[in-house]
Parts: sequence; C-alpha cells; structure tokens
Amino acid sequence: MTTKKPGKGDIMNQKTTWAMIAIGVLALCAFLVLSACNKKEEPASSPMAEQQAAQPAATPIDPATVATINGTVKFDGTAPKPAKIDMSQDPGCKGPNEAENLVVDKGDLANVFVYVKDGLGDRSFDVPKDAVVLEQHGCRYHPHVLGVMAGQTVDIKNADPTTHNIHPTPKDNREWNESQPPSSPDIEKSFAREEIMLPVKCNQHPWMKMYINVVKSPFYAVTDKDGKYEIKGLPPGDYTLAFVQEKLGEQDQKVTVAAKESKTVDETFKPAAD
Amino acid sequence: MPDKPIPEQDPITSKSYAGYYLVATVLLVATLFWALWDEAWGQRPWKAFQDEWRDRYTAFLNTERSKSAKSQTAIEQDPQYVALKQAYTQAYLAAKPQAEETRKKLDDASARLLAAQSVFTDRRAYVNALTYEYETTSSASAKASKKKEIDQYKQKKATVEYPDGTRQAYDFDELEKTYNDIRAEKTKLSLELGVVLKPATDAHAKMDEYVSDHMVDLTPAQIDGLKKKAADWDAKIVQINVAEANIVDRCESCHMNTREPLKITEAAMMLKGEKKPDEYAAAFTSHPRPELLQIHDPEKFGCSPCHQGNGRATTSIEKAHGNYEHWLWPLFPKENVQAGCQNCHAADMVLVSGDVQYQTINDGKDLFRQKGCMGCHRYEGYDREPEELNSITQQIKQIEKQKIDNLKQASYLMKEADAAETNDEANTLNTQAVDLKVANSKLDGRLQQLDFQSHSLMQDMKKVGPNLKDIRLKLNKNWIPVWLKKPTDFRPTTKMPNFRLTDHQIEAISAFIWQDALTDPLPQHKPGNAAHGKELFETRGCLACHSIGEGDQMQGGTFAANLSRVGEKANYDYLVRWIHNARERTRPYCPYEKKDIGPEDYAKKGLPYQFDLEHSRCPNDGHELQVQNMTVMPSLRLTEGDAEDIATYLMTQKKKDPSSYPSASYMDDPSLKEEGKKWVRFYGCAGCHEIAGFEDEGRIGTELTFEGSKPIERLDFALFTEVAQRGGKDAEPIKDKEDLARLPDGPATEPWYNHKGFFEHKLAEPNVYDQGMVKGDTEKLRMPNLHLTKDQVLDLTTFLMGSEETSLPESYQYKPGDARHDIQAGWWVIKKYNCMGCHQFIPGQRTILMGLKQYQDAQDQLPPKLLTEGARVDPEWLRRFLSNPALSTTDTNRDGVRPYLKVRMPTFSFSDNELRILVRFFQALSQQPMPYIPQEVPTLTAKETDMARSLFSSTAAPCLKCHATGDPNHDKIATAPNFLLAKERLKPDWVERWITDPQAVSPGTSMPSGLFKQQNGQWVFAGPTPPTFNGFEGDHRKLLVDYIFQLTPEEQRRVAAAMPHARAAIESHHAAIGGSR
Repeated sequence: MTTKKPGKGDIMNQKTTWAMIAIGVLALCAFLVLSACNKKEEPASSPMAEQQAAQPAATPIDPATVATINGTVKFDGTAPKPAKIDMSQDPGCKGPNEAENLVVDKGDLANVFVYVKDGLGDRSFDVPKDAVVLEQHGCRYHPHVLGVMAGQTVDIKNADPTTHNIHPTPKDNREWNESQPPSSPDIEKSFAREEIMLPVKCNQHPWMKMYINVVKSPFYAVTDKDGKYEIKGLPPGDYTLAFVQEKLGEQDQKVTVAAKESKTVDETFKPAAD
Repeated sequence: MPDKPIPEQDPITSKSYAGYYLVATVLLVATLFWALWDEAWGQRPWKAFQDEWRDRYTAFLNTERSKSAKSQTAIEQDPQYVALKQAYTQAYLAAKPQAEETRKKLDDASARLLAAQSVFTDRRAYVNALTYEYETTSSASAKASKKKEIDQYKQKKATVEYPDGTRQAYDFDELEKTYNDIRAEKTKLSLELGVVLKPATDAHAKMDEYVSDHMVDLTPAQIDGLKKKAADWDAKIVQINVAEANIVDRCESCHMNTREPLKITEAAMMLKGEKKPDEYAAAFTSHPRPELLQIHDPEKFGCSPCHQGNGRATTSIEKAHGNYEHWLWPLFPKENVQAGCQNCHAADMVLVSGDVQYQTINDGKDLFRQKGCMGCHRYEGYDREPEELNSITQQIKQIEKQKIDNLKQASYLMKEADAAETNDEANTLNTQAVDLKVANSKLDGRLQQLDFQSHSLMQDMKKVGPNLKDIRLKLNKNWIPVWLKKPTDFRPTTKMPNFRLTDHQIEAISAFIWQDALTDPLPQHKPGNAAHGKELFETRGCLACHSIGEGDQMQGGTFAANLSRVGEKANYDYLVRWIHNARERTRPYCPYEKKDIGPEDYAKKGLPYQFDLEHSRCPNDGHELQVQNMTVMPSLRLTEGDAEDIATYLMTQKKKDPSSYPSASYMDDPSLKEEGKKWVRFYGCAGCHEIAGFEDEGRIGTELTFEGSKPIERLDFALFTEVAQRGGKDAEPIKDKEDLARLPDGPATEPWYNHKGFFEHKLAEPNVYDQGMVKGDTEKLRMPNLHLTKDQVLDLTTFLMGSEETSLPESYQYKPGDARHDIQAGWWVIKKYNCMGCHQFIPGQRTILMGLKQYQDAQDQLPPKLLTEGARVDPEWLRRFLSNPALSTTDTNRDGVRPYLKVRMPTFSFSDNELRILVRFFQALSQQPMPYIPQEVPTLTAKETDMARSLFSSTAAPCLKCHATGDPNHDKIATAPNFLLAKERLKPDWVERWITDPQAVSPGTSMPSGLFKQQNGQWVFAGPTPPTFNGFEGDHRKLLVDYIFQLTPEEQRRVAAAMPHARAAIESHHAAIGGSR
C-alpha cells in the first residue's frame, strides 16, 4: 500500500486512529466483561445445611425449685365385682386371679396412669439407664399398668412354670410377639415412640393383658391400690395432667405448680356410659 | 484508467465517516457481545443450573459427610464391631512375630536380588547383543568367532557385592542360576507372608464389611467420591439417547441430582434463609422413588416416556417441560404423575414396586371398573370376559370347520391309497390319512377345553348393577321413581349415578322396567331373629364389602352397597334368597335364543326345572345358559335360618316406612312402556344392568382407550373454549356447590385449556359443557353425574391423561410372559371380588376389616394375611380350598381351615378359569415355580417320633394349646388351624420358616417368635428340652416339622388327651371374655 495522497488523509488518519482506539477499548471492555462473566462467582451463601444437631442434651432442671404433684384417683360409682378367672386350663398357672380392668377398693381406683401430657415445651430428658421390670407370675402381669420412658429398657421376666408369649399390639410402635418358656432368659425390649395404653397380651392365656405407657418425660406415675400417685421433680410451670384408665379413658386437668410447691390433684372417674 | 481530477469534495477523502464507523462498530461489537453471551448462556440456561448445583450440592455433601462420619464412628462402637476389631488385633498380634521374621527374610532376599540383578541384567544384555550378532552373521567363520566370543564372555567372572558386604564372583551361568534362585526364594517368602497374615487380613476385611453393611447412609469415603465428582464437573449437556425408542432426553442437564445415590429433598437444596424452595432447589432433588429407576433403567427408558415433556429442549424451562402451544405432550403435573405408568402398564390392574402401591393410578383403574365406566365406554382390556368369550366362539367355529376339512381330506387320501399303483405309495397315503384322524382327535381335545372355557366365561361375566329382570320380586314398587329422581338422595354412597331425568322420563323408565321384569313366584319365608341377624351381619364379614350407617356413623367397605335404608326398598323374601345365595337366578338366560328360559321350556322336553353350574345347557337347543346372577356377591354358606335372621335385621334398616312412598300406579300403564324403552336405550342402562331385551345392547359412550392423546381441539369445551384458554376470574364454569367441591384444585383461576382441565371438569359435572346451549332432550350430554370425590376425580383424571397411544416400541410395553403375567392376571380377579377387603396381599396394605371397631381388640379374629400364601400352601390344595372353603360337602356352615374365626371365607363359585388364575397368582406372588412338586418328608423312627412328640406337647412348646384338634370343646378356644391339615395343605420348607419366625411371615400373628435359636448350624429349641433330647445333635426344628407332617388323627387325639384340663379351659376362657367386656 502506498501513501500517495497526504493532506486530508491525515485528518482521516487521525480520526481513524481515534476510532481504532475506541474500537480497541470497546473490544477490551467486551473481553474484560466476557472474561469477568466467565469467572465463577463466589458462592454468595451456602445452601441450607440440614440442621440436625444430635439428640439435644437434657434440659437442666434446677433441683432447688422443683415441685411435687400427688393425689388420689377415685371411682364414683359401684364397681362390678371383678370376674374370677379360672386358670385351670394350664396347670402351670397357680394362685388366685381376677380381672384387673377396673380395680376399685373403697372408691380408690388403682392402675390409672397419670402423666404430664402438656406444658413441658421442648424440654428433653435423659433416658434412665435402669430397666423397668415386667414380671409374669401366676399367669398375670406385674404390674398391670406400666410406665416407661421412650427408649428405656423393659426387662420381661417369666417366673411361671409355663410358657408365655409377650405380644404388644401398639399403634405407633413396632409390633412383636415372642415366646418365653419357663426359666428362659429375660427378654429386653424398648419402645421408641410415645404411646399411651399400649396393650400387651399373651395369646396362650387369653386373660393375660396389661398396658405399657411410653412417655417422653420422667413425670408419670401409676396409682396404687389406694388410688394414690406422686410425681416428683417437676419444674414450676403450667401443665396438663392426664389420667388414663384402660376402660374409662382419659381425663385431663390443668395444673399450675409454683417452685417447691407440693400440690394435691385428685381426680374422679365415673362409670363408663355403656 | 482515465485520469480524472479529484473533486473538491471527494466523499472518500474529504468527508470523515469515522462517526458512522464508530456507531456501527459499537453496534457490531454489542451484537457480537450479545451473540457471544447468548451462545454461552442465553441459549444455555442449564449452565446456570449446573453452576448453582455445584455450590449447593457440595455444601450439602459437606453436611452429609460429617453426619456419615458420625454414624461410622457410632457403628465402630457396636460391640459386634469391637469384637471384630479385637479379633483382628488378636490375629494380627498372633501373626506378628512370624510375619516380622518372614518380612525380614523377604527384605533381605529383595536386597540380594537387587544386587544380583544389576550385575546380571547388564551381562545378560551383553550376551543377548552378542547372540543377536551371531544369529545375523551369515559367514560360517564369523559365526564361529562370534560363538567363541560369547563363550569367552560367559566364562568371565563378575563380582556381585551383596548388601551385607560379602562379595562373590560368578561366571555367567552361575550368575544366572543365583539370580533365579534368589528370585524364587523371594516369591516363596512373599507367599509365606501372605499365609501368615491371612487371618489378620481376613479379620480386617470383616471389619470393613461390617461397616458397609451397617451404614444406613453412604460411607464418608463414598461421599468424598461424590464431592470430587461435583468439584471436577465441567458444564455440559447431560443426555440420554436411546435410538431404538427415539428417546433423546436432556432433562438431567438441569436435574443434576436425579440419580444421585442419596435422598436429596427440596429443603436440603434450599439456600439458607429462604422460606420457599426456589426453582433451583426444586430442580436438584433426587428422584423421589429411586426404586422405580432400578426397574426402569434411565439409560433404557429415559425420562419422557413416563413424565412426558420435550426431552430435547434445553433453552427454557417452559420448552423443556413442554408447556407451550406447539408441544402435544406437556409434562404431567406432579399430582397426575402416575399417568405416565399407563404408557406401558395400561393392562395391569395393580402397580406395586416392593411394598409401594401406586395408589393414584391403581385407584383410577379400579374406579373405572367399579363405577361401571366401561358399561358405556369401551376401554381396551376392560372387557376381558366378554371379549374372550367372543374369541373362543370364533375359535370353536374355526376348529369345527378344520375338523370337517380334515375328514374330507382323509377320505380322499384313503381313496387314493386304495387305487395306488405301489404298496409304498399306498402306505404313505394311508399314513397321511391316519395323521389327519389323529389331528382331529387332538382338535376334539382342544374343542372340549374351549367349551369348558366358554362355560367358565359365562360364569365370570358380571354386571356392575343389579339385575333389573328381578325388580318385581325384589323391590318396593313405589320406591323406584323416587330412587331414579336422584339416587344419592336415598343413598349418598351409591354407585348408581344421577342421570338428571325429567319427571316424565322417570315415569316412563319406571313403567318400562317394571312391566319388562319377571313375575315368577318366590318362596315365602318366616321372619327371623333380628338381633342374631345383626350379630351375624357384623361378624361374618359382610362389612368387608358393604357399609352400614350414614355419615360419620358409616362402618364398612365401599365395594358394595350401603345398606342403611335397605328396609325401605327391599322385599323380604327376595332378600333372604339373595343373602342365602346371591347367585341364584330366577330364570336362566339363553344368549343363543336371547330369552329367559322358563319351566315351560323344560317341561316341553320333559326335563326337571333345574339349572345350576352343573346343569347349564338349554333344554331347547343345548346351548350354554347363564345360570347365575351376574353379581360378584358370594355365598357365605349360611343356613336358611341365618339368612332369614340377617334379612330380618336388614329390613329394620330404614328411615321411614316403605308404605309411606307415594303410589306410582302409572308404572302399570302400558302406554308408557315404549317410551320408557326408548329412554333406557338412550341412557345406556344396560351397560350396568341386566334388562330383558337389552342383553346384547352396545355401548353408548365414546371409546376412552386413547382419550389422553386426543388432540385438544377434539375435546369439546363448547362455550368455554375461550375462557379456558384465558383463565382469570371467570374461568370456572361450574356453579353448583357440590360439583365445585369435586374439583381437585378447587375452582379454576388459571387457564385450564388442556386435557387435565377438560377431564376434571367433565368428571366433576358431566353436563358442564351443555351450559348455555339450547338443546333438545335427546341432544343433551348423557353422561350421568357419578358424584365423585375430589380424590376420585384426581384418580380418574390421571388414568385418562395416561390413556395415550404410545410411540414406544412394542418391547417397552409391559407384557411379561413369565410369572409376572400370572400376577397381573391374578390382580384382575382379586380386585373383581374385593379380596383385599379381607386379606392383606402386600405388606402395609390395609384391609377394610382391619379398620372396623370390633377388630381393634381382637386382631386374631381377622382373616389370615396372605403375604406368603403361595409359598405356604400346596397349589392343588389351594384350588380345592378356593372352590370349597368349607373343605367339606356336608359340613358347610363353617370355615374349613380356621373354624374358630367368626368371619367367613365365602364360596365365590369361581370358574375353573379363575381358579387357575388365582392359584397361579399366589404361586407367582411368592415366587414359587409351577407345577409344584411336593417335597419328600422323611418318616421318623420310633425314637425320633417319641422325641418330637415330647417336644410337641411340652410345657415350653404347648402347640395344642392354641391349635385346633377337632375336639369341639377345645376348638372353641383354639386360635390356630388343625395340624392334621398340614400334610395336604402346607409346604414343609415354609413351615420351617414359619415356626422359626412367624412374625416375619405374618406380622401380628398370635404365634410367637423365638421358639428356636441357631446353634452350631442347627435350629435348636430355645426353651428347656424334654429329657429325651439329651445327646441329640440333630435339628430340632426339622424334627418337629417332620412330626407335624406325619401326625395322624389317632396320634393327635392321644397327645391332646394327655393335656390337662381341656374342659376347664373353655370355662375360664368364657370367664375372661365376660370379665373384660
């Protein structure tokens, strides 16, 4: 290429240079933008981690403030005479036995499961290391109503000279059914989920029936033959106390306990409607 | 080139275009920039997805990893793992001294080898080089001299300096030998080391195995692998390409986690602090049903055959999901996703994988059948019995023709043979003729089978609704018009739909069916005991199909009618007959003559008026008759007295007195009959009911087999086309409150101009598309209102959306030729008779009875679970049991296997066809081969029998305490079948599994687990064994099972008699029951 004609060309050249520079700058910008885009953005925020902390540690309770609830559960009505159970079908079953579905003595109602149903918020409690014992003796269960914390071991013993089978029929836990011949080792089981009045039976001795109550807190009790119960170590607060009887169902009471208070909460069941 | 003067104002030289250039350049560069951007991202939105995925997934994996590490640590604290670790340590320590010594020797040998090797390889290379020269030299003298050179070289000694400092000189051969010796020594030593360490390495492998077996989630190492994969990921299109089926699916370009081996939820993929999952979180979930991908390998099936959408599109979410005008197969919405199953599984009644039932589509299929949709709409595969009967009739005709042809041909050949020239030729022709005769006798066999089958099929054909030929015998006449007005007013849960009939139409239809019905006399029955009837009704199992009580009070199943007001409509005598045996027909029907055959026809031929499954030939012409009512209602083998009691109880079920219905005398008006007939035909009543004169009536509705792939413009939205396309405030055409409540998503606000919208509206209010139109009575939409619930509309819509003409090749269709076919054929029958109302077939499946109050505390009174029925029972026994569940021809008022159950296994009068299907179904469901070859059970020696007997009756294994013995006193408290049935009924291997862990076979059974434990490879009794077992080292379980299989009635009586207090037991049982009530 020859540069014959200077003059005006110079001007153009000048402008061209500017244009070239402009283009160059633009191209550079474009390049920069492009490359900037190419660079990976730093993750602005990390995806939500599944906050699954391990089992929350037990909430501490100040032992200096704890309260106690106790009381008596009554039965307002005439209880039918408990049916005698003839166990002569199995010579291994000895001793007297009668139906335990409604055990009333002078108006005191035994075998009522009492527990703090509501009011503990999301407190959690350590599961006791000690097992709760369920014994089969004289072809009946001892106790007839049992409370246990979720995850706590139930140690099942057979003291009878006959074979039993232990068959819980839960709603919210896993069902099982195991044979326990005489003088065989204890069966150790636990229930993972809360369930009230979980029926347990023995298929070989149709009269044998008991209830396990699986709860999340240690604040529960079963009324004794005098209808008495006691729940200790309760932190002050507002609670719903539930009284559950296998045939008569559940009755609730709202209770407020102050620090160190010892409160008496009685309850009365009426005969079932039918 | 002529020299022209340069003009003053030369545009090229004088005017600057730089400004324009600049603008153009800016534009160009901008365009370039845009083009580059578009190329890199605009057209590739999936890149953004993949970037986002990498970040979120990595973060997710990090949290997963720490969890996994934690659970690994937890597992490592298991006593079993600790024991394994100890075993490893022990083995390691035990091997250690010897291993160390061996390793030392090995190290020494390696060092010596190394020393020798360096010298040896050097020299060997030189020898090889010389040898090569020797070989390639051609002249003899040169060869000789080379040979000499080699030999000399080999003679020369070389020194090896060993690591311990010793030095030794070798010639070449010695060196080679030394080298080889050391090498052999080293190999031997490393083998030795392996043997010494083997127990330790094995123990370590067991530790690793324990960890991977007990980790519920992935191990940390596996998660690290995934993390690395995510970190190394380069943006690219992920594509499944299956040429055979024309599948190109790029869905995984955004749905990156679909096949990841972890469960990844939307919540896990959400950004911290966000409340709702964004589109990324929604896209990055793993497939919610990974087990489905296992049976439908995505590499073969892709995504779109099940989900639809446009698998090829990658430029936007709308396009990829096919949610735009030009794509015919938009992605199935989440709630209808099971529509995709229909593509290949249209013919299958029950879709299950593992224990998961695909309830939406299963219910859709079920509803289509149960609500009687196929009475008006043809749907391929839903008319099995009539279609098969048709094909069999065709086959019979063909075979008969073939037989005649064969005979003709045979006689021709014989004639030829007689006239043949040579004996050879005659013999050949005669042989051919004989072959043809044999062929005919084979055809006779086939014909006989086809005949049996058509007999079976006549038996198998059922109608959804009751037989209207019987209404004069069955119904309160005045009730009929009230019912027709709006069936749901009388019985809200009825299957009978509302036809929106005018009063005049009702009068005409009632008159026609009344005058058209049979008037045969019915046997009279005395009234029964209602209280006893109620008890029977509640315990015999009626409630598995029927319900009683209305609203919240309703108890029982929805398979059959709610009987709360049956006392207002029914005739007592007919009800007794129906309960006693619902299949008992008033008159047999001859499909050939197209008439109901009466006693007069039998009398003409001098035959007794007797028709049942054994007497099913027409007296006039020998054709197969319909001798049963076409109902699925079985016989409960009740006595006539029990049937009277139940009927009496049911007649008390009423809200008002039957006589309070206004008189409908017009039903006897003959002038209404013809018009009534017209409306019966118009509304297709015969699709569900047997009506005299309408037995061969065709269907009135459109075929629905491929309704889902009908082009949208062929679905008539009528006046609502535009509003459905537009959406918005007035988008919902349905006004009726009850009908609105049927729409799965409530009133429409979005555009609903698609198949889903059409079906949902049509099902919710079938005449919705008549709204605003001026039509005569015969032009209106005929589809009745099926008064479906929201869920039912969803199920049926899903079913219809999936009813498409598939573009997949034949090989993709689910048409298995093996046992899986038997399973699907079986489901058809299982569903037909509502077997699932009483029995559990799939783990987790709830039966109707399980939900009833009276069984909550008496689970052992429920019918048996059939989870492993095929593995449990001998198929031949099962066939006999199914055809007669009483297992007796005389003592029929009981259950054959479990007489202790109050609930009754009914007699379904299964045809041979259905018996065959059911037996095969159970075998296939339990993966048992057919035919079944019974296992030999060894005969026990006298000593073994004594031992087994003592175990069988020991305190620790009181078998006869619960199992029935045939002694009526004992059997009253029995809760398990009689052992005497075992031999014919059960498979021995199953019994062994059963007594080991009954809870694993039938969860919740009364039979306890833990009777046996494993010891030295044998199953031994877990409790104390009788003294006879001292020194016995065999398998206790096997012994007991063999004994049970050889148990005789005498033996059982002896053992039972030795058991104390049998009678007292019964009393105590009663006391206990009384006490707990």
